[in-house]
Amino acid sequence: MKRRNFLKSSLAIAAIGSQIPNMIFGNSKRSRFHWSSITSDKIVVLVKLNGGNDGLNTIVPTEEPQYYNKRPSLALSENETIYLTDTVAMHSSMEPLLPFYEEQKMGIVQGVGYPNGNLSHFRSSDIWDTGSSGDEFLSTGWLGRLLELEYDNFPDNSPEYPLSIQYNSANLLEFKTSESNTALYLYDPDAMYSIITGNYVSNQGNETFDSYGGHELEFLREMDFMSFGYSEIINQASQNAPNTIMQYPDTNLGQQFELTARLISGGLDTPFYRLYQHGYDTHINQKSRHDQLLGELSSSLAVFLSEMEALELLDRVIVVTTSEFGRRVNENGALGTDHGTSAPTLIFGSKINPGIIGSNPDLEQLDNNGNLQIQFDYRQIYSTLITDWIGLPESTIQNIFGNNFSSIPFIDQALSASDNTILDGFTLQKAYPNPFNAKTTLSYTLPREKNVTIRLLDCRGKAIKTYKLSNQKSGKNIFKINGKNLSSGTYFAQVQTGNSILTEKITVLK
Amino acid sequence: MTELFNIDHKSKLDINYFNNEWPNKAAVKIHNSLLKKYWSIDNSFLSNSTLSEPLNPLDNTQSTDFNWDIYSARHLLSRTITGATFEDINSCLTQGMHNSVQTILENQDLPDPPGDWVLEDIPDWNSLSTQEKNDIIQSYHSRMQSFRTWWRELIIFDSNNITEMMTLFWHGYFASAFSKVFYPQAMYQQNNIFRTYCLGNFRDLLRQITFGPAMMIWLDINGSRKYSPNENFSRELMELFTLGVDNYSQEDVVSASRAFTGYVTDGLQTNYDFEDMAGWGPWWSDWHDFDEKTFMGQTGTWTGDEIINIILEQDACAIHICSKIYKWFVYENIDQSFVNEMANILRSNNYEIKPTMEFLLTSNHFFNPIFRGANIQNPNSLLLGTIKRLKMQNQNYPNQFFDKSQNFLGMTMFEPPDVNGWIGYRSWINSNTLPMRKAILCSLITGISPFGNYGSYINVRSIAQSLYNTDQIDLACEQVVQNLALLFFSTPLSDNLKERMLSILLDGAEPYDWNINLPAWNAQWNRMKDLLQYMMKIPEFQLS
Repeated sequence: MKRRNFLKSSLAIAAIGSQIPNMIFGNSKRSRFHWSSITSDKIVVLVKLNGGNDGLNTIVPTEEPQYYNKRPSLALSENETIYLTDTVAMHSSMEPLLPFYEEQKMGIVQGVGYPNGNLSHFRSSDIWDTGSSGDEFLSTGWLGRLLELEYDNFPDNSPEYPLSIQYNSANLLEFKTSESNTALYLYDPDAMYSIITGNYVSNQGNETFDSYGGHELEFLREMDFMSFGYSEIINQASQNAPNTIMQYPDTNLGQQFELTARLISGGLDTPFYRLYQHGYDTHINQKSRHDQLLGELSSSLAVFLSEMEALELLDRVIVVTTSEFGRRVNENGALGTDHGTSAPTLIFGSKINPGIIGSNPDLEQLDNNGNLQIQFDYRQIYSTLITDWIGLPESTIQNIFGNNFSSIPFIDQALSASDNTILDGFTLQKAYPNPFNAKTTLSYTLPREKNVTIRLLDCRGKAIKTYKLSNQKSGKNIFKINGKNLSSGTYFAQVQTGNSILTEKITVLK
Repeated sequence: MTELFNIDHKSKLDINYFNNEWPNKAAVKIHNSLLKKYWSIDNSFLSNSTLSEPLNPLDNTQSTDFNWDIYSARHLLSRTITGATFEDINSCLTQGMHNSVQTILENQDLPDPPGDWVLEDIPDWNSLSTQEKNDIIQSYHSRMQSFRTWWRELIIFDSNNITEMMTLFWHGYFASAFSKVFYPQAMYQQNNIFRTYCLGNFRDLLRQITFGPAMMIWLDINGSRKYSPNENFSRELMELFTLGVDNYSQEDVVSASRAFTGYVTDGLQTNYDFEDMAGWGPWWSDWHDFDEKTFMGQTGTWTGDEIINIILEQDACAIHICSKIYKWFVYENIDQSFVNEMANILRSNNYEIKPTMEFLLTSNHFFNPIFRGANIQNPNSLLLGTIKRLKMQNQNYPNQFFDKSQNFLGMTMFEPPDVNGWIGYRSWINSNTLPMRKAILCSLITGISPFGNYGSYINVRSIAQSLYNTDQIDLACEQVVQNLALLFFSTPLSDNLKERMLSILLDGAEPYDWNINLPAWNAQWNRMKDLLQYMMKIPEFQLS
């Protein structure tokens, strides 16, 4: 968006109040997100678990005696966990995510942090946002620097869609460039559109003056213009989105995921989304609170992933959780935990290397404050996204972080490079009858003999039945779904062979 | 303060001090469901980062004696009181700078509390039925509602005095939220401490706040015990309230957290005695850590008070306090040498806040024109200030209008986003809040708000009449524009912009045709309303 040019050209238009020159965005063609060196349609959805998520009670080292010794009341018992391997379990509230783990769409990177972890929320958040070391102070965000690097003369030379979208926090530090910021804060696109356009005054003059007041005024004008311009694009994408049949949990985070899905499926080319979930600072009475938070996260995320999958968009999307720090190994006296250091990062998508990277945290070798050592620098996560996911050259890392950070193999590059993972000759026909009451028949075709998994998902994307069928024959196969125990509503039937998944929406009527 | 709450508490205090679901599991559930009901819209707009540019330093050192003119008078009022009217600015100009600052800093009598409930005993939750719990917690939520209204009225009917602005400043400084504190009594007690000590001694203020029930609950001092001290308070005490992030070690946090053990509250009273400077009762004897601790290099059997004393001996403390005062009243990026001067005044006056404020508000630095308009107004001052400037204090706005406005704009009183309070400046502004600010302001004129319509009556004739004093009718409209600009804008307006405003006011008529007193008043009134809305929609309106 070329603001300065706009301001010049709009001087000719004598419009006041709610009259808006509608030619501004009408005549420009929308382009794909264009990186200076490559073209990428990849999307990164970052979720901040704000307050410092307790990593040890998220991904649990079940065989570590110290885990139970140091957390006599908070250690999760066997029925509060779901085993992922013999020695690693996840919190049972994360059950909605289990199908994704089983389908190899969930990865875990253990022990992510930075050396000499700072135990202040505010300072540690700033470190994660700016991409700095523990003892370094940067005033721009890591995403701000990345996007500025790829767009010469930002904000004058930026595309018509926002480069990043964030919800639920005015924390723009992560997106801040030296001159401006690259993020749009979003609440409700429809309301936003009418309020922005109804209160925008064009031709307001662009005199600048060199004082602090003048600097703040420049900032406000920039934001005023940017929100006006983007509201149109956002509104379009929101209108274009197919009607979702999936039901997101009625929580703040659920709404953020729902809106993200709407914008992605509506064709918005924005490459970065930042979602926030607040409340992880569990100094007292951690257990019930943490249960609830992880449950809210998992149920919203599961619906989002299912919807992306059903719309065949999941190949373009990766979801990554971050948090300013983990929590202390020892529980405190208030049935809670104090600020800690490293914690696992969770990764979701269909083009990832699934499973667990890194080992269970070592609960014997703690730092002087009784906190965990790190296994991976958080900037390795960012770097992997930049090079292996988006596909920018490795030199970008040096430019953004002033240092090289090696990738962590959580992206399957072979998978993420190929555009089409659906096996040739693998098809799924329309279910018949549909809607149905007693039974419906799924017909699918295989190019050769294969193992097949069929899942029945509810409207929230949760797997309610899974059938593993081995050695299904080449050619047409049929599978009957029994509606007897299903209540009326929308379901998804998913047929998977290898990495290929086909999905069919089915409706039960009683 | 101490008089008000100096009850014979030792015999009464029966604290259901600490259990898994403080203060009562069912009560908390009801409380949370009401929070969700009343505040279900997002009120977590804010967070914790500094957004402003590291600007090239502007020339703010060479300012010699500034001119005491109408713009200086306006600047002084715009930073210290909410909504200075045209008359206020003129009388400030006439009074002179020093006299005006004296008036602004004058001590005020404390207002009557918002209700008898501020001293109501804490119920015995375990003996109550669900219905009784429900009723009590409903009443807590409606008390908070009337408490907000009470404070709002103090602000919009206030005289030219800094008390309410300072009270708001300290609320953000020691940010505590009702959603966790749970008891309106505790929230009121804290607000009353802010108002009582806002220009008093920082040591007294810090002690009153620390050992008040709201802070004890908010940062988990309540129930912290010897064998497993909670670090929450001791970290924020140093990081946010006194020293700043790099001026203490993790070891200091641990030692301080051991010193802050054994203090408890029921929500109204505490087991802390302000005269003995110690806790009392079995909680104190059983839970306080009486062993030696090493804090900031000094070893002793420190209590909470002694930790505070050691902190106040640190040079970083006064600098930290003055940095925050500077950020609120001057600009986001501090001028370190000026802040150091302020800190010297604060230390040499034994942490008395008033002389420090007087030094600031009479300094050449404060009046340097580069700071005019450099403060993006907080939503509270923006909205209430506009109401005051338009003399619409007596309008019957529904509570919902204010609650929703505050919530949408990210500044709900008694619900700061986190312990760091409202960081202000550019964090107020995003693509959602900026248009929402404009829409809410315009609704003062139109009566049509984003949250529904309400009756609104604005007497634009009396506003216009107060803004010109000429008999030359063809000059009157220009004066109206000039003086509205003075009233609402902190940065200078270009001639172009003034021309545009004049053309909105005239709407095709000639200047000599403009007459707010004409019988055909309707069109003139509408033009005046259009002009006010135009002003509210340009970004300059946001700045103070």
